[in-house]
Amino acid sequence: MKLYKLLAIALILAFVATSALAIEGGNSRKGKYLFKKSCKACHSEGAEGGNVTPLSKTMSQWDRMFKKAKHDPKAWEGLSEKDLLDINQFLYDHASDSDQPETCG
Amino acid sequence: MRNLFILLLVGMLLLPATAMAAPTLEDLQLKIEDLSNELDEMYDIVEKNETHTAKDRIEWYGDMRTKVDSVHYQDITWNPGVSVDLFQFRDDVFAGNILALDPSTGQPVAGTPLANFAATYPQHLMAFMQGVQNNTLPAVGAFSMLGLDLGESAGKGDLNNDILYTTRLRLGMKAEVWKNVNFSGRLSMYKNWGDSTGIKVFDSWDAFTMDGTNGGNTSGDWLRVERAYFDWKDIGGSDFYLSIGRRPSTYGPPSQFRENEMRGGTPSGHLVHFNFDGITAGYKLSKLTGIEGQTVRFCYGQGFESQYGNGELYNTNDFATKDTHLGGINFDILNDGTNFLQLTAFGAMDVVDGFKGEFAFPSQLMPLFAPTINQDAQNFPNMNFQVRYQPSTVIGDILLGGLGYVRQEENGVNYFASLAYTQLRPNGDAGLFGGMGSDNLYVATAIDTDGDGTEDQIMPMPTNKVADDSNQDGYGVYVGIQIPSPGGKVGLEYNYGSEYWAPFTQAQDDVIGSKLATRGHVGEAYYIFDINPNMFIKVGGLYYDYEYTGSGSPVGTPQKVDDVLDGTAVSLLPVADTAWDGYASLTVKF
Ligand code: HEC
Repeated sequence: MKLYKLLAIALILAFVATSALAIEGGNSRKGKYLFKKSCKACHSEGAEGGNVTPLSKTMSQWDRMFKKAKHDPKAWEGLSEKDLLDINQFLYDHASDSDQPETCG
Repeated sequence: MRNLFILLLVGMLLLPATAMAAPTLEDLQLKIEDLSNELDEMYDIVEKNETHTAKDRIEWYGDMRTKVDSVHYQDITWNPGVSVDLFQFRDDVFAGNILALDPSTGQPVAGTPLANFAATYPQHLMAFMQGVQNNTLPAVGAFSMLGLDLGESAGKGDLNNDILYTTRLRLGMKAEVWKNVNFSGRLSMYKNWGDSTGIKVFDSWDAFTMDGTNGGNTSGDWLRVERAYFDWKDIGGSDFYLSIGRRPSTYGPPSQFRENEMRGGTPSGHLVHFNFDGITAGYKLSKLTGIEGQTVRFCYGQGFESQYGNGELYNTNDFATKDTHLGGINFDILNDGTNFLQLTAFGAMDVVDGFKGEFAFPSQLMPLFAPTINQDAQNFPNMNFQVRYQPSTVIGDILLGGLGYVRQEENGVNYFASLAYTQLRPNGDAGLFGGMGSDNLYVATAIDTDGDGTEDQIMPMPTNKVADDSNQDGYGVYVGIQIPSPGGKVGLEYNYGSEYWAPFTQAQDDVIGSKLATRGHVGEAYYIFDINPNMFIKVGGLYYDYEYTGSGSPVGTPQKVDDVLDGTAVSLLPVADTAWDGYASLTVKF
C-alpha cells in the first residue's frame, strides 16, 4: 500500500518535471570548441584583445554582451547565429558566478 | 572628471537635437540640471554598492535536497560470533590440556569440559572430529555467540521501510583572501525526518557518527563543517599551490554524474569519499606540458589522533594506538572538458581498529558483551547508552590505487569507467572488531561456568591477534553512462567490489550505505528532470547484491553472505543478502 503511495509521489514529481521541461539554449561543449577556435586568437595573454576567459564576466554579463552584440562586429564575422549561441552558452555555463568544480587548487 | 562627463553627455544630447530643431538656452540649462541631479543620485547608489561589495567578504551559495527512499532488505540475518583457532584446539585436545579424551575409548570423559561441549554442540564436535580424521581441519572455525551449533541458522527476515524522508542542506562559502589566495568552505546538514539525536543504534558502519562520514550519514539538524580550506596559488610566481584544511575529498569523479553536479571533490570518488583534514600541495603541470587541465597533487591527511582527547593524562591509558596518517598522489593526467583521466594512489599508515565516533549501544549486544549491565537494562528496553567508541590498537596499513576515465561527448552523452585496487596489510594485531582484513583469533579455553571450582565448559577467549596476517588484495570496478533525454537525462551505473575491497567511500550519502564500498554487485538506474538550471528532480533505483560481509570496513574477515545465512559462518553485525532502494528527490540550488 505504502509502495503505491511512493509510486504516486514519484509520478507526480515526474509529471511536474516534464510539464516544466525547459533549458533551451546552445550547446556548451560545441561552444567551448568554437571559443577556442574563434576567440582565443585575439584573446589570449598578450594578444590584441587581451586575455578573455569564461571567468571574465558573470552569467548575466555574458548574456548582455551577446544580446547587445557589444563587440566589434568585424571580429565576429564568419560566426553563425548558432555558433554565437553555442559560445554564449559555454561562457554562461562557466561564468565567474556559475557552478565551479569543487576541487582544491 | 565629472564635469567632463556631463559635457560629453550634453554634447551627445546636442547632436540629435540640433539636427531636429534648435532648443532654447533655458531648455538646455534645465536638462543639464536634471542630468546633474541624476548623476548625483547614481553616484550615491554606486557608492553604496561599492561599500557593500567591500564589506560583504563571504560569497554564499548552496543547495537543498529533499529525498524520499523506499528501502527494502531481503534475508537479513544476525549470528554474532568469533573465529576460533582449531589447530590450537586440536593440539590442546590431544595433549590433554582440555581434560579431554579417555585414551582407552577415544571418547570425551563424562563431565569434562569437552564432554559438555560435545553435548551442547554436537555439530561443532562432529565437524572437528571429521576434520582431524580426514586431515581437512581448517585453521579457523566459526563459533556463534548466540549458542547456535555449526550449520544452525540464526533465522532470517526482510526489512521493508516503505518511506524514509531525508533533507540535505549544503551551504557553500567562498572568499577572496588576497589576489592569489582563496578560502572555500561548506557547511552541511543531513538528517532523516523526525530525528535529531545525532546518533543511531549501531547496526552497521553507517550508523556510526564520526569525523570522516558525518557529511554522508544522517546525523541530526546540526550544520557541520564539511569543508573549510584555503588555496594559496601561484606561490612566488610559480605554478605551485598549497591548500590546507578540511578537504574537498567527497563526491569526486566519476561520482558527480549521479549527483547532477560538477566534479564535487579532488580525489577519485571511487576510492575516496571521506571527509579528511589535511594538506595538498599541487602543481599545475599543464603550463609545462601543454596538456589541458594536467595537475598533480600530493595529499596528506590525518584520520586518527592517538594522544589527544583519549584521556592520556590519566597515564594509565595503555591503548596501543598511533596517529593514522594518509598520503598519496592525485594526478589529473588530462582534463580538457571532453576527456578526463585521473590516477589516484594512496597509502594509509598505522590504521587503527575503527575511528573515534559515537553510537547508541544496541541492546542486542548487551547480553553478549555486558551481561551485568544487561540485567538492569531489562527495565529500560527502549533506552540505549550513548557510547563514544575509540579504537584500541593499530592493525596495519592500507594501500589504494585507481585509474578513472570520463568522457563527455559533444552531444551530451557522458560515460566513465574506473578500476581500483586496495591492499590490506595486517600487522598481526586485533581489537574487539578484529584486525586488518581478519578476525580476532579466539582460542578454545576450558572455563568454570557454574563457579564450583572445576572447569566444566569450553569457551572461546580472545588472543587479540589476527586469524590470518597475510596481505589481502581487493579490487573494484565502477562504470556508468548518462544520456540526454526529454527534459533531462537517463543514467545507468554498475559497480562491483571483491571480497577484500576496502575503499574509503563511507561518506557516500546513500541511505543503505555507500554503494561504491559494496563487496558484491550494485546496479543503479535513474532519470534526472532538469526543471531549470537550478532545480532538478531525480527518480531512480539502486539494487545491492552483497557477496561478502564487511562492506565499507577494513576490519574483520569478510565472510560469504550465504555462509552466514546457513550458520556456517558468523558476523558481529547484521548481514543482508540483497537490498533495493527506490528513490525520488527534488534539489534546489541557490
Ligand atoms: C579579430 C580579433 C578578435 C576576435 C576574433 C574576437 N575579439 Fe573580442 N575583442 C577584440 C578587441 C580588439 C577588443 C577590444 C579590446 C579592448 O578594448 O581592450 C575585444 C573585446 C572583447 C571583450 C571585452 C569587451 C567588454 O565589453 O568588456 C570581450 C568580452 C570579447 N572581446 C569577447 C570576444 C569573444 C567571445 C570572441 C569570440 C566569439 C571574440 N571576442 C573574438 C578582438 C577580437
